Amino acid sequence: MRNILTIALHTVKLEIRDRVWIALLAFALGYVGLMLFLSQLVLRELPMVNAFALLGVYFFNVIIAIFLGTTLFYRDVERKTVYFVLAKPVSRREFLLGKFFGLCAAVFLTSAVLAGAYLIVIAAAGGGFGALGLLAILMQFLEMSLFIAFAIFVSTFSSSLLSVMYTSAVFFLGYLVSSLVSDARRAGITGIRYILVNVLYYAFPNLAKFNIRDIGVHYVADPWLSFGLAFAYAAAYIILLLFAAIWIFEKKEI
Amino acid sequence: MLSLSHVTKVYGKRKKRRLAVDDFSLDIETPVFGFLGQNGAGKTTIIKMITGLLAATSGTILMDGVPSESAASKRRMGFMPETPYFYERMTGLEFMRFCAQLFPKNSRTDDELGRFLKRAGIYEARNYEIRTYSKGMRQRLGFAQSLVNDPDYLFLDEPLDGLDPIGRHDLKQSMLALKAEGRKIFLNTHILYDVEEVCDEVGVIHEGKLLYAGPVANFCNGRPLEERFVATVQEYEQKKAKEQ
Ligand SMILES: Nc1ncnc2c1ncn2[C@@H]1O[C@H](COP(=O)(O)OP(=O)(O)O)[C@@H](O)[C@H]1O
Ligand SMILES: [Mg+2]
Repeated sequence: MRNILTIALHTVKLEIRDRVWIALLAFALGYVGLMLFLSQLVLRELPMVNAFALLGVYFFNVIIAIFLGTTLFYRDVERKTVYFVLAKPVSRREFLLGKFFGLCAAVFLTSAVLAGAYLIVIAAAGGGFGALGLLAILMQFLEMSLFIAFAIFVSTFSSSLLSVMYTSAVFFLGYLVSSLVSDARRAGITGIRYILVNVLYYAFPNLAKFNIRDIGVHYVADPWLSFGLAFAYAAAYIILLLFAAIWIFEKKEI
Repeated sequence: MLSLSHVTKVYGKRKKRRLAVDDFSLDIETPVFGFLGQNGAGKTTIIKMITGLLAATSGTILMDGVPSESAASKRRMGFMPETPYFYERMTGLEFMRFCAQLFPKNSRTDDELGRFLKRAGIYEARNYEIRTYSKGMRQRLGFAQSLVNDPDYLFLDEPLDGLDPIGRHDLKQSMLALKAEGRKIFLNTHILYDVEEVCDEVGVIHEGKLLYAGPVANFCNGRPLEERFVATVQEYEQKKAKEQ
């Protein structure tokens, strides 16, 4: 437990010194500034501002999560920095989990900074304290944790660049499949093909579950229920991915 | 006592299969043991198996009767990897803190960590980021971090590689001081004359096999170490050629 915490804290420290992370965060804040400007000029309606701002926060969060998830774990193993850690009384499982929690904490930090910027935009556009918007960002964070778990899982057996590609692919498929089953039913697909569609649907993470960004634009039935479901879904998925990652990493020749 | 028995390591599978260490057995009790061998002889592979970084294909490695890859053994060992890579944006001192925290009940003050850094001759640079370190400075930091848990056993993979003459001298002095404190040192090297100064016994490894193990003086038998090393390897190669 202590080892996991030590490695997690160390990972956070490494990340916030990473040039790329700093650059991405600067970009994100720049985007928020632009939103602020646009909201005064064109996007006069609050729901529009809300949707655009949340989408911006989401976009940068995804990039940061994929970037951190695919590089920080892989780099330690590839450059053999991990030798320093694993020759000490630290198991591979502890190392992997420490990296995971550290990366999540860094993404949470990013989310928090962006959430602050989001609140400023909303306030400037004449909205009050956007509790639902914050909930939407929190759900994005759950989704990011899932990305990180996936990125670590992939980096246990493939190179950094491939991991970026796999993780991005899953990101797109994750959105694609979310409506796959209902689409298939509507199109009247049955039999083996319908089963295949279902397999796809369950194999890829259903990222639409984490999306309540449309609040304000559309009415969301029960945001807290959505959150609860998303949380359970993310937790189950993450645990599965981490188990698989540990299983592979423990056998890996480093 | 460090005891390797019938240790074998095969890398890869099928066509890529590569026998790196071949039925290797050796008991080491002497304070400073030097492992000699050409590049690719299998030295790093053996040290990685001892420190639990690599699983042996077969055989056992015991440290005072306890499996060397167990957490209990790891608490008592220090390891300095070959050409170490670090977290470039950490300072030397931050890296030392991180390493110390990975041992249970081992909260070190900066003063204590400073002692290890001084011992390795890298204290002055402790607050600089590691990315600004030269190869020799990295080597020194790699040595310093291997000391954070006051290890009973030290495993050093090519510790003198990349060091200037002063650095080599300093590190050899440090090794002798550690030996005087009763710690056991196991080092890998392909640089022969370093061995004569610090090692009590040597093992000669070639193609994953142990060709000789014992006191340096016996091995040299009045001849220069280099000459004896080359002759031993050549004898082995000739014998192998004849058998084929
Ligand atoms: N990860 C690996 N995969 C395949 N072969 C390896 C690997 N690491 C080392 N080898 C091979 O094992 C042999 C011994 O390597 P090594 O232990 O690094 O030698 P040394 O440290 O004595 O120079 C070499 O032939 C090397 O090519
Ligand atoms: Mg080597």
